[in-house]
Amino acid sequence: MNKAAQQASISTHGRDPVDDRELVLAAQRGDRDAFKTLFERYHRRAYALAFGVLRHEDDALDVVQDAFIKAHKYLDKFEGNSSFYTWLYRIVMNLAIDHLRKHRRVKPVELDETRIEAEGDEGLLPRILGGNPARALVDKQIRARIDQALDELSHNHRAVLVMRELEGLSYEDMAQAMSCSKGTIMSRLFHARRNMQKRLLDLIDHPSAELVEDLTGAGDRSRAEDDDVPANDESPRKRAPAARSR
Amino acid sequence: MSAKSDLELMEHADGELDDADVAARIERDPEARAKVDAVKQIGELVRGHLELSADAVHDARFAAMWRRVDDQLVAPATGLWSRISGWIDRYRGHVITGAVSAGAVAALALVLRPSAPDIGVRTRGGGPIQVREVALRATPEIDSLDTPGGSSTVINLDDEDGHTTVIWVTPEDTVEGI
Repeated sequence: MNKAAQQASISTHGRDPVDDRELVLAAQRGDRDAFKTLFERYHRRAYALAFGVLRHEDDALDVVQDAFIKAHKYLDKFEGNSSFYTWLYRIVMNLAIDHLRKHRRVKPVELDETRIEAEGDEGLLPRILGGNPARALVDKQIRARIDQALDELSHNHRAVLVMRELEGLSYEDMAQAMSCSKGTIMSRLFHARRNMQKRLLDLIDHPSAELVEDLTGAGDRSRAEDDDVPANDESPRKRAPAARSR
Repeated sequence: MSAKSDLELMEHADGELDDADVAARIERDPEARAKVDAVKQIGELVRGHLELSADAVHDARFAAMWRRVDDQLVAPATGLWSRISGWIDRYRGHVITGAVSAGAVAALALVLRPSAPDIGVRTRGGGPIQVREVALRATPEIDSLDTPGGSSTVINLDDEDGHTTVIWVTPEDTVEGI
């Protein structure tokens, strides 16, 4: 389990995890420790979201910090209709999008987002990495390529992709968050995914020997034999992220 | 296969489209199935990559962040004045609307009051003039007129006795800043 997922299940009193709602109520009454617990639960997850959109560590940290300050300031307005994290990520997302608007850098021009049907055969690519794709993330080369591919997406395409893949937001929720139509969201997501596929295509079609080893786990076995350590040892380098349940 | 039909595959993969035809297509067409798998795989790669990126940030940076957040936390309002301020802050829009409405009613009452004593005022030349309130027959007409010295303002006032009063404000009459 990665740190972000672990922090979401931290217990504050060493027994049953305290419900977010209780923590919010306590924080609304002025209990700073309760708010700190909420911070500890969600700061990394909020950071992953901000970093995914902004692609800059310091900017993402600034946005997360501002988001928690803002969340506390308006805590009395949180009525508990959604989870605390749902409310927090909206704040993070709004601040991240504002940040992009204020510090707009040159990005690739987007295709006309309302006209997918006019693009002929530019469809999804029926190609996947063989083996265990989660293991691909231990490969530095593929992580560098994912980084680069995310960098090359337009702001809007990246924001939609991150919201969908990291938070599992519905098209409708994303449309609300980005103040645009559901059709625009679908189009952005489609282009973002296809562009990611294109940028990773050579790795998929012609994986390096090391990537093949990582995907199949052969590298682990040979290294384990060499080092005389168990093959399932989860050293930081080999730790693949756990799939997050939505 | 068109991008538009692939869009349906993507919607299906995201759980946004529950369509029997699309499901059947995925069932019988290996390429459609591979595209759905590819959409899911891109998702796994992006999610896993961002989670690992978040894990790579040192705990000390978040600890420092908490200290900065904690410094800026504002204690919740507990005193009477704080609660009143909080109430005004929350319902600022209603308060302003109410205040404007009350002001408008007061102004109307002032204009429509039955009678008022004559008021003596002085012109800039020093001579006293008598001013009395009159009821207007129509809304005053205000025109702008370009004159050699600049732009003048002409105000036409028709009272209920059929008299028309013209007030001409020339550039010389205009006090800077007003």
